Amino acid sequence: MDSISAVVLAAGEGTRLRPLTRHRPKPLLPAATTPILERVFDQLIDVGVTDITVVVGYGKNRVQAYFGPTYRNVPLTYAIQEQQLGSGHALLEAESAVDGTILVVNGDQLVAKRIISDVLEGHTETATATVGVLNNRDVEEYGGVLLENGDVTDVTENPETDGNHRLNAGVYVFEPEIFDAIRSVGARAGEQSLPDGITELLRSDAIVRGVVSDGLWVDATYPWDLLDVSFDLFESGLVDGRRRESVATSATVHESAVVREPVIIAPDCEIGPGAVVGPYACLGENVTVESNAVVERSVVDMDARIGPNATVVESVTGVGVVVGAGTTIPGGPGDVRVGDRVFQDERLGALLADRVHDRGANTYVPGTIVGPDSNVSAGTTVRGTLPEETEVRT
Amino acid sequence: MCGIIGYTGTDESVVDVLMTGLSGLEYRGYDSAGLAVSNSSLAIHKREGEVTALEAAIADERLEGTSGIGHTRWSTHGPPSDENAHPHTDCVDSIAVVHNGIIENYRTLRSELEADGHEFDSETDTEVIPHLIKAARAEGAGCEEAFRQAIRRLEGSYAVAAVFSGGETVYAARHESPLILGIGDEGYYLASDAPAFIEYTDRVVYLEDGQFARVDPTGYVVTDPRGAVVDTAVETIEWDPEDAGKSGYDHYMLKEIHEQPNAIRKCLRERVTEMDATVSVSELDELDHDGPVQFVACGTSYHASLYGARLLREQGIRAQCFLASEYDTEMQPVGGDTLVIGVTQSGETADTMNALRAANRAGATTLALTNGVGSSAARECDYVMYIRAGPEIGVAATKTFASQQVSLALLTGVLSGQYSSQEIRRLRDLPDQLQRVLDESNARTVAEAYADAEAYFFIGRGYDAPVALEGALKMKEITYKHAEGFAAGELKHGPLALVTENTPVFATITGDANASKTLGNVKEVEARNAPVVAVTDSSSDVAQYADHVLEVPAAGPRFTPILANVQLQLVSYWVANGLGRSIDKPRNLAKSVTVE
Repeated sequence: MDSISAVVLAAGEGTRLRPLTRHRPKPLLPAATTPILERVFDQLIDVGVTDITVVVGYGKNRVQAYFGPTYRNVPLTYAIQEQQLGSGHALLEAESAVDGTILVVNGDQLVAKRIISDVLEGHTETATATVGVLNNRDVEEYGGVLLENGDVTDVTENPETDGNHRLNAGVYVFEPEIFDAIRSVGARAGEQSLPDGITELLRSDAIVRGVVSDGLWVDATYPWDLLDVSFDLFESGLVDGRRRESVATSATVHESAVVREPVIIAPDCEIGPGAVVGPYACLGENVTVESNAVVERSVVDMDARIGPNATVVESVTGVGVVVGAGTTIPGGPGDVRVGDRVFQDERLGALLADRVHDRGANTYVPGTIVGPDSNVSAGTTVRGTLPEETEVRT
Repeated sequence: MCGIIGYTGTDESVVDVLMTGLSGLEYRGYDSAGLAVSNSSLAIHKREGEVTALEAAIADERLEGTSGIGHTRWSTHGPPSDENAHPHTDCVDSIAVVHNGIIENYRTLRSELEADGHEFDSETDTEVIPHLIKAARAEGAGCEEAFRQAIRRLEGSYAVAAVFSGGETVYAARHESPLILGIGDEGYYLASDAPAFIEYTDRVVYLEDGQFARVDPTGYVVTDPRGAVVDTAVETIEWDPEDAGKSGYDHYMLKEIHEQPNAIRKCLRERVTEMDATVSVSELDELDHDGPVQFVACGTSYHASLYGARLLREQGIRAQCFLASEYDTEMQPVGGDTLVIGVTQSGETADTMNALRAANRAGATTLALTNGVGSSAARECDYVMYIRAGPEIGVAATKTFASQQVSLALLTGVLSGQYSSQEIRRLRDLPDQLQRVLDESNARTVAEAYADAEAYFFIGRGYDAPVALEGALKMKEITYKHAEGFAAGELKHGPLALVTENTPVFATITGDANASKTLGNVKEVEARNAPVVAVTDSSSDVAQYADHVLEVPAAGPRFTPILANVQLQLVSYWVANGLGRSIDKPRNLAKSVTVE
């Protein structure tokens, strides 16, 4: 194909990533220091995609303001899904912006370009749709696909573990017939899903191919998974964590600070005297690490500030978070409570959502989650899962 | 104030190039547009209205040729109409001319030409040019010589481009109006500004005042007023052409409001270090000034200047602010020890340029604070500091105002040589705080509550006073409703008479030490039953007296007003949107005003 049009589905909030999604959708959360969606665009452009339509909805202002009208000289068209009524409905919103064969991927999952190019190459002239499939993966959390001689015979959203379904990688090539298929199947529980649209294609005897591929496929299901995502990126080499590659030229690192690889330090960061950053530390734009603070195995998002002598280990912070002087977040494992579920022994020091302000000299029990815009007064032991705008006092 | 474009090339794409160019120049004016394409005769089309009206008019025409010129107009002489649209021609349509600027002696020239039998079709000053060229041709001059003779007769400001029927050459000249030459692979471009042809080439020659240019499909020549060939430097401009897209927003203005956090990041990048408490602006490394400062600016840039002058005065530097159109060096004590700072988004604002030129003549040191890289202001001043806001297309300035304010804070650090690490921390915190305002603003609700108001008043004191003026200007520009801004203390000296229950008063009260006084003014308007909208960082108890509150994070007395202004931008936007106004191209206004 000379020109390849892609549609990226990026309209959903990603509710399981709360409270990090208070003001922005999951596709804008950092994979290391770069939004997941930006890495998706990178893979698409690397395989030769020439124009991208992004379906946006939840937090759309943030997506549009971040990327603007082009990314790496590839034009971006925004299609708006006002209400999040399913992945099929999202794709319909892009219909008027595209023409002919389209590549469709999710904007909130990292997929190696090899998987994408395999699906593109595997799409034959007779096929109406081609689905990327991965072996040896846990399918329960995601979608499953049944294959017979390279033809897809079943697509389902939450398959039983019957050992036969393989993982639907969320990478598709579609002919325009997909739009009518989605429309004709209608909504189920108020949502139109993309797998239901594919099922409808199968019912009409269209050919749906499955292409088995292999490569990096990373999805953050819960907020603390952002730590694993960053480890995977360093380990796979997708992010070069060597200091000379990964410290932005506009960042200022004091000569007495210690930077331990792998690490990534984004533009405008300041690392003060005696601070220790890394290994596996990801500092977003304009992060400040003050004198003698320690940050390791953590994802610290834009504009955050780690105060003097603070220790931050195995933690995830949102944007604009302040960790005060002398606060200690010693790291996991700990039990994390989300709603009624308890996740035991997760490697999470603490999760501080956007603009949490910690006044210093606090200690965080492993697995703590603090909601956005909360204030933590000095000299407290913080534990549990705290809602947004909590005032934590001693 | 207009935009001009010229093209000559081998690829037969002249109409596409001209139409693309006009779209790229529409920010300079949009009350009429036109083009002329030269082949054996001249094909001329022009229409009142936006460029799309012209596009519809030529949709069915087969226009062929290798060279042509185009124009988008913002009326100065004669109302917008098909007749007054450019290009203008001589009596027999053998010469077509487009022009940006004002010909001050056009009445004299016109009488003279009319006495010689020339007939005029329009009320414009421009139309004298093709007739002057024709008159010179009739005397036997060649095309280029005739063009030069005509230009020599003109007084005033101009960027002019002309084509002759049957010719492939475009002739151009500039004096006090912007004109650049673009060098493409298949042809050559002339335009008021780079967006006109950036899609085709990023290699440009900046023409200087008094220079002439001649382009044909085989090459270009730049000459001085006497006709001697000038060696020109070809520069590469950095500008992403796609930056001119709305990226999913309904209006450029809303897009640009949302770009402000990132604009400020770029403005601060590599210019501040908190841990060493240093501010350094590389463009100003050589600047060592220890004397009074005068600001000259217009409109929104003037409001930024008021803010900047206050910042400087607080550091003990004598600083005054002048409306550029009122700046008259005869009346000001300006001399070699004065630094005159021109604040202009485009770097082409005629009023500001005139003030800066006067300051240059008076021997002052001049500094341009601008977004326009390679602009006239940048080239003619002794120093330039770029605000790095990126292209702004919406006529109502938003992100460039924020970037001007942050740049002025940096400039204050450079000139005073003292900035605490605390102040720099506050600057570095601004992008996130501004993002927070955008994330959490309830301005749309407030706008909907007061969309039917008769008028809007804005008050503030100290650093909040320029916010009040700018808030009112934004409201006027895009909603067409009556809006006034005052220093809060002035309210009771007259304007209070206008306050009624149908005139909401927007009171900005941030960390300024005078907040309690503004609170007194709020009570004055409450007593007249006017609804009060407080824009505040909760440093005072104004919220309890207000009908609505627009909250902003506290960023200290100097920087909180930058955040407060964003709330008012959003209120104006949503009021205008509710009224269905032409937000990006308000009536009668243009982005960059290059006439006096």
